[in-house]
Amino acid sequence: MVQNLLFQGLVGLTGAMYLWLIAAGLTLIFGVLRVLNFAHGSLYMLGAYFALSASLWMHQGFWPALAVAAVGVGVLGVLLEVVFVRPIYRLAIAYQLLLTFAFVLIFNDAVKMVWGPLYQAPPMPAGLGGSVVVLGRPYPVYNLFILLAGVVVAAALWLVFDLTPWGRAVRAAASDREMAAALGVNVPRLFSQVFGVGAGLAGLGGALTVPMQTVSPGMGENVVVDAFVVVVIGGLGNLWGAFVGALLVGLLQAYGTLFVPVFDLALAFIVMAAVLIWRPAGLFGRSG
Amino acid sequence: MTAPYGKAGAGLGAVSAVVVVLLLMPFWLTQFQLFLLVRVAILALFAMGFNLLFGYGGLLSFGHAAFYSAGAYTAGLILKAYPSLLVGVAGGVAMAALLGFGVGFFSVRHIDVYFSMLTLAFGMFVYSIVWKWDAVTGGDNGLIGVPRAPLAMIGFKHGLNMMPIERYYEFTVVLSVVVVWALYRLVRSPFGLMLQGIRENAERVEFAGVPMRRYRLAAFIISAAVAGLAGSLVGPLENTVGPDTAHWATSAEPLLAALLGGAASFGGPLVGAFLIVGIRELVERYTQYWLLAMGGVMLVLVLGFRGGVTGTVLALARRVAPGRRGGEAAR
Amino acid sequence: MAGRISRRRFIKKGLAAAGGVVALGTAIDRLGPALYAQTKPPIRIGAQGILSGPYGGYGEFGRQGGLLAVEEINHNGGILGREVEIRFRDEELKPPITVSNLRYFVQDWGADVAIGIDASNDVLAAAEVMPQLDRVLIVHHAATEKLNEIDVYQKHNQYVFRVCVPVYQDGIASALIAKDFHHVKRWATISPDYEYGYTCWKFFRQVLSHFRPDVQYVGEAWCKFNTADFAPYISKVMAQKPEGIFSTQWGGEAVAFVRQAKRFGVFQNIGAMMIGMGAAMDVLEGLGAEYPDGVWASCRYWFRYPETERNKAFVERYHKRWGHYPSYPSEMMYSCVNTAKAAMEKAHSTKTADLIAALQGMELDTPAGKRLFRAEDHQAVYPVPWGQITHDPAYPMPIIANLKVSPTTEYYRWPPFTKLFGV
Repeated sequence: MVQNLLFQGLVGLTGAMYLWLIAAGLTLIFGVLRVLNFAHGSLYMLGAYFALSASLWMHQGFWPALAVAAVGVGVLGVLLEVVFVRPIYRLAIAYQLLLTFAFVLIFNDAVKMVWGPLYQAPPMPAGLGGSVVVLGRPYPVYNLFILLAGVVVAAALWLVFDLTPWGRAVRAAASDREMAAALGVNVPRLFSQVFGVGAGLAGLGGALTVPMQTVSPGMGENVVVDAFVVVVIGGLGNLWGAFVGALLVGLLQAYGTLFVPVFDLALAFIVMAAVLIWRPAGLFGRSG
Repeated sequence: MTAPYGKAGAGLGAVSAVVVVLLLMPFWLTQFQLFLLVRVAILALFAMGFNLLFGYGGLLSFGHAAFYSAGAYTAGLILKAYPSLLVGVAGGVAMAALLGFGVGFFSVRHIDVYFSMLTLAFGMFVYSIVWKWDAVTGGDNGLIGVPRAPLAMIGFKHGLNMMPIERYYEFTVVLSVVVVWALYRLVRSPFGLMLQGIRENAERVEFAGVPMRRYRLAAFIISAAVAGLAGSLVGPLENTVGPDTAHWATSAEPLLAALLGGAASFGGPLVGAFLIVGIRELVERYTQYWLLAMGGVMLVLVLGFRGGVTGTVLALARRVAPGRRGGEAAR
Repeated sequence: MAGRISRRRFIKKGLAAAGGVVALGTAIDRLGPALYAQTKPPIRIGAQGILSGPYGGYGEFGRQGGLLAVEEINHNGGILGREVEIRFRDEELKPPITVSNLRYFVQDWGADVAIGIDASNDVLAAAEVMPQLDRVLIVHHAATEKLNEIDVYQKHNQYVFRVCVPVYQDGIASALIAKDFHHVKRWATISPDYEYGYTCWKFFRQVLSHFRPDVQYVGEAWCKFNTADFAPYISKVMAQKPEGIFSTQWGGEAVAFVRQAKRFGVFQNIGAMMIGMGAAMDVLEGLGAEYPDGVWASCRYWFRYPETERNKAFVERYHKRWGHYPSYPSEMMYSCVNTAKAAMEKAHSTKTADLIAALQGMELDTPAGKRLFRAEDHQAVYPVPWGQITHDPAYPMPIIANLKVSPTTEYYRWPPFTKLFGV
């Protein structure tokens, strides 16, 4: 019994890491640029498609496919930022939603044009397709790999933002962009880079889902709302909040399925509403 | 709708002319086109109700589908049990207003993106109830066989038959005109002006001792009720009410309509609703990629014509004839 | 001044040009029908299916089957000497869109008959408006038993017919096979969290328990719509140590489910897995080599059954035209078109009332075998096999073998739909 509960928790942790990988970029972009990127799910979808193409068309292995997805979507993110997002920084959030929602629609159809309307299911990378016995039951090696990937991404982000000069500049610009600019930081360029990193994280997240799930147009829309929930619970713009939020939602979904399947759909939203009512800025957010 | 303050008479004349033309449409249009126009009217009502909160109150609700859906399901359930159109619609509006009170009570304490996110959470909560509460809502199938019930009139034994789409279209037009007129009066009333004042400078208004939250809550409830009205018209049109009515994607529609048409002008959402239904219907005849077209239009709008269609037209009009004030509620 | 004149002239010219265009347009409008009258107006078929998203494979396969049928018919002289036109729209898995498509087909485009529809919620909404539109709807795939048992049989909606086997295939035929798995006594389900999932599981349990009182049902996991990560559901059910798992996941979700279940060791730890729509071509092609041997799977038409000339010829032509084997929606849409043709030819008319009369009780030779349209509930009756997944080098995808076919008298529910094996 206890073993089964722990096993379900492990399943929840893997689910949490899937959520974290997409939420990280979303909250990063909001935290620094103050842009609510509704198209984040589309970037995630594009990451999945880029990885798919890399492995199917160019006959690349899993690892190069991940790199293609992360870098490809990251570069696309920089382009988007420079051309479209930059003019709307100072506008009301509604225009940000409108702009990024426009991209949701455009990317959905673009993906359909390029890759076709059908879902696709590319093969599992060699070496990660097996299972190992954990807590007395078989568990996918790939899910353990996702756990590891989530932790690695978290550690990398911590290293970059806390220890490098670039990270310090980003944090300075996030808390006061005028001040950062006065201190000689090239804020517009920095913002492009941050948007690129956030997009790249989404692309990576999408690419990582490919081997265990399916890839289809519209796959990003289901995910982006889950990511919003995670990010809002943790506190918009707060990376560690997103990590904790992902853990919370991932575990809730796993145990919710087990104990209160009736609330399967609603659970995450109930928690989100409760958190917002209790602490409007989220668990780790600063208000204002 | 762009009539200046002093010329109410001329405005009234213009509006009556438009109403007459609208009511004559069944002589020219096909049944399918009338059906599309009813859809436009429903989305326009939904968007105008939404815009009371958004354009005038400065609050972006991302959960308005909850009220739309509450209206749709309540009206549908009533109509299945008691086939009288007005009773169903009234029930839908009442339920939406009630839900609006509940959600608004918690939400109007928040502003900006936190308000949006809290309404999103409530909206999706309603979505999951609608999806899961099989016994009442019919689960994924939704309510099937909602009748386009007759319009019962006092003094008549049998109600007015609403089955022909022409009759239902006329009913929708009349109802919409009444509601739009009421909303127009509302935004011009002291209440409406106070709402805009709060949007522009909440702190100053609060210092002046105005119970700000109460104003916001009232606006929220009215907005929810109008969304519920729009929703309650869906079942009789489609004969079905499904859980998609409560999904967040439905919440995005009035926002799109408002921004597309111009959130800063009273008639903007109406224009936007017409565009959304029209663009889709036109583009889908030539290509399956209508999302691309829609996205393209939105992109152009955000980057070049932020006032939406009405805002752009009014700006042009101002340039042609300077000195005349057009529109209101400039953002 | 000059500018004003040139502007006026410009306007004049513009008006003249516009007038010319209008006149020409009017002339074409007038002329068009006159030309048509000499030839014959085409017969129009409005078709729809899910053409996008994780279930988009169904619509695409349906579209291919429908197009093939229309091409063949036009090649052979059309229907009643008239050419056939078909148009496809995406039903998007949304009832309002489905209904709106129907209105477009009938009230704008002028369709003589409507066909298609993949999803059960969509078809129930569509059935409601067919009497208003006064057209026959021949359903190709949506399988809810409510359509034939309640809408047609109980409520006398005469306008709807269906070529595909309803959920009896998933929920009842499956149990008739599972009753012989003597080593499997603990069953569980991992299925979609909506009516299709619940109904099939209910039928399955009732029929199975009728034959096997010793069987226990130890777990249920209902996966929400658009599930991508099935791990919580798989883990929940496997904790109950089931010996058999019954699933009605379909489309891309079935693929994701099997991939993940495999890595949770599900197939090594249970004695039987049954997937109702597991033999759909998109699932077979999607899983490819990853599909574990021995899984029991079915669909609503299997391209290697029955082994008749009619079927072989269809499969061959389909494969030649589209480069892969027909999935079941392909045959369904193909047969929808041919059912419409047969009805029109039998009635010598395209009028709705005549078509309804012609279709009731009609028997039709189709690739899937002889279909009988029951007069009472407008449901086509024909058998479809269950089989076990195997990898045959002769095919580029896994196929089902060891086919088991129950007689339709045993696994279809029959009017008045009171009981069958206790269901």
